[in-house]
Amino acid sequence: MKGAEIYLDYAATSPLDPAVTAVMLDCLHHEFGNPSSQHAAGRRARDLVEAARAAIAGRVGAPPERLVFTSGATEANNLALQGVLRRDRGARLHLVTSRIEHKSVLDTARALEAHGVAVTYVDATALGDVEPQAVAAAIRPETALVSIMHVNNETGVVQDVAAIGALCRERGVLFHVDAAQSVGKVPLALAAAPIDLCSLTAHKLCGPKGIGALYVGPRAVLQPQIHGGEQERGLRAGTLATHQIVGMGKAYALADPALEAPRLAALRDRLWRELSPIDGVRQNGSPGRRAAHVLNVTFPGVDGESLRLALRGLAVSAGSACAADSPEASHVLTGMGRSDVLAGSSLRFSVGRFSTETEVLEAAAAVATAVARLRALAKSAPPWCSA
Amino acid sequence: MEYSSAVVRRFDAPKRAGELPDGAPGLVSGEAEDRTLHVWVRFQLQVIEGVVRAARFQAYGCPHTLAAASLAADWLEGQSVAAARGLDMRSLCAELAVPIDKLGKLLRIEDALVACWRQLPTGK
Repeated sequence: MKGAEIYLDYAATSPLDPAVTAVMLDCLHHEFGNPSSQHAAGRRARDLVEAARAAIAGRVGAPPERLVFTSGATEANNLALQGVLRRDRGARLHLVTSRIEHKSVLDTARALEAHGVAVTYVDATALGDVEPQAVAAAIRPETALVSIMHVNNETGVVQDVAAIGALCRERGVLFHVDAAQSVGKVPLALAAAPIDLCSLTAHKLCGPKGIGALYVGPRAVLQPQIHGGEQERGLRAGTLATHQIVGMGKAYALADPALEAPRLAALRDRLWRELSPIDGVRQNGSPGRRAAHVLNVTFPGVDGESLRLALRGLAVSAGSACAADSPEASHVLTGMGRSDVLAGSSLRFSVGRFSTETEVLEAAAAVATAVARLRALAKSAPPWCSA
Repeated sequence: MEYSSAVVRRFDAPKRAGELPDGAPGLVSGEAEDRTLHVWVRFQLQVIEGVVRAARFQAYGCPHTLAAASLAADWLEGQSVAAARGLDMRSLCAELAVPIDKLGKLLRIEDALVACWRQLPTGK
């Protein structure tokens, strides 16, 4: 690995775009007013917030007044799930989601189960698709909400949220979509889609951490989860973080999938072309239904933790987290039917705005060298190490 | 996961990795695994006149496993069998600063060596 670390982990988070940094700094230096205040400083801050809200709404095809700012997609997911299920207490107490959702949905679902909510976890296919028919089969008369992510954060597989949303509408069930990985890579048109709630974040698309939003469509009625003020139509109390919101607005204005996705897809495909000659290597996730920025690859015969240490000059994510004595395999890959061993031998590469072809080529060469070295150390290993 | 500099050094350049030539005199080998912990270790030892003349390892597993197997093989070379049988995994793990939750994996190193010792004629 030459020089500094090569960053191919944009699906985890991304560096700030300099244009985002500039508007945030300007706001921090000059606009400290509380957007809820009625004086001039407050009104200026409010104008900035509303301009950012309009930019974000424009990118996702939603009326600006339908966006509720949160601290990020995790809070937005919590507000969507708990806001619906806790409000419906005693009435419709069933949630449908999938086994390959982000932890912020799965852990919230488990927390709701502890409060008496029934949850059905739909299986994914071996290619990482959540099939609309499987969701339809899980819906019951008492189902209040279906929550399925748009782009899977580990495989990049794009779920058919239009079909799932349509069947939710037919059955009179609210539909929530976690779109944390989508913006800037896949077009969104929320107002025209059968989607009632949609979680958004800024930091995956070169915006700041600590800010996100929940789209709340006209059919959804939520119980607030944070109390203490009437901000955001009473749905999310707390002084709005003007500089964060301004940064998110700029990030969304810049994140045009028509401009960005083709370049990212070319980088991702180039990376795969370089990695594919490695013996036994395979992609995870439906190749025809993947967002442009993610490539998840299994390297059979190589322990994932050792591979990550061997590649410490390369910032990528594991398909698993080998915590210690009990290696916890990626729930997404095992949910697609991969063994714990193969899930542990997987890496997620994700490219972004500042990724270059040179970085991709250097990364692929480093991976090929590391895989060959580790396989040589385990030349006589039994078949289960590769299966 | 944090790694000690000793683990990183051994991981980057593992001494005694590989195999001894087939048919070498005094060759014994032993292996052990734990599928649930994703670990497999194999040792080959050349024992001549009660002394471990050469030791090689292969391993599939985490960096601590690879480093500890390398350190064990390195230490074994030149030891009498009596001394080698007394390999103290606890001090080896201390030398590498292995976290306590990894010790279960490293027990497979001991198991693989026990499998080697079993192949030695009684009294060697």
